[in-house]
Amino acid sequence: MEPSFQIQLEKIQETDILIGIPSYNNVRTIGHVVRAVMAGLAKYFPKAKAILINSDGGSTDGTQEEVKRVQIEDYKTILTSHPVHPIQKIVTPYHGIPGKGSSFRTIFETTQILNAKACAVVDSDLRSITPEWMELLLRPVYEEGFDYVSPLYARHKFDGTITNSIVYPLTRALYGKRVRQPIGGDFGFSGKLAKHYLTQEVWESDVARFGIDIWMTTLAIAEGYKVCQSYLGAKIHDAKDPGSDLGPMFTQVVSSVYGLMGHYQPLWKGVEESQPVPTFGFHYEVGLEPVPVNLERMIGSFRLGVKDLMEIWRKVLLPETVLWLDSISRLSDEAFSFPQDLWVRLIYDFSIAYHKGSVHREHLLKSMIPLYLGRVASFVKENQESSVKEVEEKIESLCKVFEEMKPYLIERWG
Amino acid sequence: MSEIWRTAIVASFNKFLGKVATFLPNLLAMITILIIGFITAWVIKTLLFRFLKAIQFDRVSERWGLTHILSKGGLAYSPASLVSRFFYWVIVLITLILGINALEVAATQNFIAQFFSYLPNLFAAVIILVIGYLIAIFLGQAALIAAVNAQMESAKLLSRSVRWFIIILSLTMALYHLGIAEKVIVAAFSITFGGIVLALAIAFGWGGRDLAKDFLERIYRTKQKKDEESDRISHI
Repeated sequence: MEPSFQIQLEKIQETDILIGIPSYNNVRTIGHVVRAVMAGLAKYFPKAKAILINSDGGSTDGTQEEVKRVQIEDYKTILTSHPVHPIQKIVTPYHGIPGKGSSFRTIFETTQILNAKACAVVDSDLRSITPEWMELLLRPVYEEGFDYVSPLYARHKFDGTITNSIVYPLTRALYGKRVRQPIGGDFGFSGKLAKHYLTQEVWESDVARFGIDIWMTTLAIAEGYKVCQSYLGAKIHDAKDPGSDLGPMFTQVVSSVYGLMGHYQPLWKGVEESQPVPTFGFHYEVGLEPVPVNLERMIGSFRLGVKDLMEIWRKVLLPETVLWLDSISRLSDEAFSFPQDLWVRLIYDFSIAYHKGSVHREHLLKSMIPLYLGRVASFVKENQESSVKEVEEKIESLCKVFEEMKPYLIERWG
Repeated sequence: MSEIWRTAIVASFNKFLGKVATFLPNLLAMITILIIGFITAWVIKTLLFRFLKAIQFDRVSERWGLTHILSKGGLAYSPASLVSRFFYWVIVLITLILGINALEVAATQNFIAQFFSYLPNLFAAVIILVIGYLIAIFLGQAALIAAVNAQMESAKLLSRSVRWFIIILSLTMALYHLGIAEKVIVAAFSITFGGIVLALAIAFGWGGRDLAKDFLERIYRTKQKKDEESDRISHI
């Protein structure tokens, strides 16, 4: 922790609410995020003492200066009254391994030092954040006694495919809580939970680099904290090329989920069914831009995987699963279908191989990508004409298959 | 006459007894060395096997593809068993050599001295081969997965090329280290790989100018097409 940052914290002494914004070269969007946070705090928590911390990873585009510069000159233009306490902003670089996790660690430490009651963390590249997000992420903690608030976004039916096909169903089947978007990126949490996060020995591991989101959610559920979710509406990021980083994104997320599975195995083996978690916020439909999908390329990638990666998959899968994969790779594009139970079996088999270390872990996860693309292609094909509600029902049915096949996982896990 | 015979026989017998008296301690030393050596080899084999089992060497070998290669080669032993047996036989071999050396037979002395001076090279060569093979398997698999994820049709060919390049490179290094036809090895390696690169350069740049042009154009067009057709799915 920077000495100047520590001096600032000593002057502040304590706070009711703390908002953390991790950033790295987000000058284009961070001004809007800071304004939305300040307006939200002034509107919904006018009597609370609040601090905004920008934990920056060494931006060179003026992100830190932008955070310091942004002010709401006249609250009357957006609010009926001024906040009782002025909202303080602190910009600090984080130390440790570069990554979102290290940035979060600084935020947790600040929470502990200032003895904050409720905290929220929001991404700095958000374009769709509104002041209402502050209420939705903080009020369940500040007033309702919850420890962890997971976000719930309105998304296009074909968006969030790693979440929908792996992270949500698997987390739900393992730990028994239906947290719909466990890797959302924006969270609310109590000071008590932040202190607990700090006691974990993960800050030199991959959690510090990536995987902090699923780690926070899993820990909150698995360690028995009061978890809920809040509907925030649409989540729109700053534009980036979505196809360019599937490989690292996929391996990072899946390795985090599989790693946590190994850590919490005594717990999830005893969980038999899932329960819904309380949901806050007003649910409404939002207009979302259509998402173009190249099905031919995805199916092609799956077929190529079956042709060339079978020697690796054979070390992981049962012979009948191998035959099943082989048979669906022979289907024409029109008839192509990747059944749910095959997909669940693969996710479980790969988790076992990851746990046992029978194939080099990075190779194992990267070799899953053609299978994932095959499953996504099949999902998109099946739901071309479906409404968002119908797609949600399909995801629910996939979750049930994950739960029904859990004994298969437990038996093979050993 | 009989005195001469008697003296000759006694002298000869004494000489023989003298030789036996000199040789017998050496023989006993050899037997002792062999007994201790065999016991040491057995103890080390057993301890090493248990240690390798404890650190899950078999699982690591399976992950690296070593078990698969061993079973392909018809070896029924597990990698842990194979390594411990290897060390057992190395110790037995050293014991035998030490035992023979203890006899102090002049003809074997020179051979043994040469053998021991060569032994480090032999070990280094074996280590180069084993490490080279493991790297070849690892990088071959990495290249295969990367090529499949990049949707290259010739992923397997690329993977095999990477694997064999590293195997041949490590074999060359091992032979060079053993001092076997050093110049020939280096020359053969340089000629082979230099030749391959030159052949490709000539074939691509001269013989297949049009093909190269088409190929590069196709790559450029495919990249453009990919950019145009790329998915806009946000996977997270």
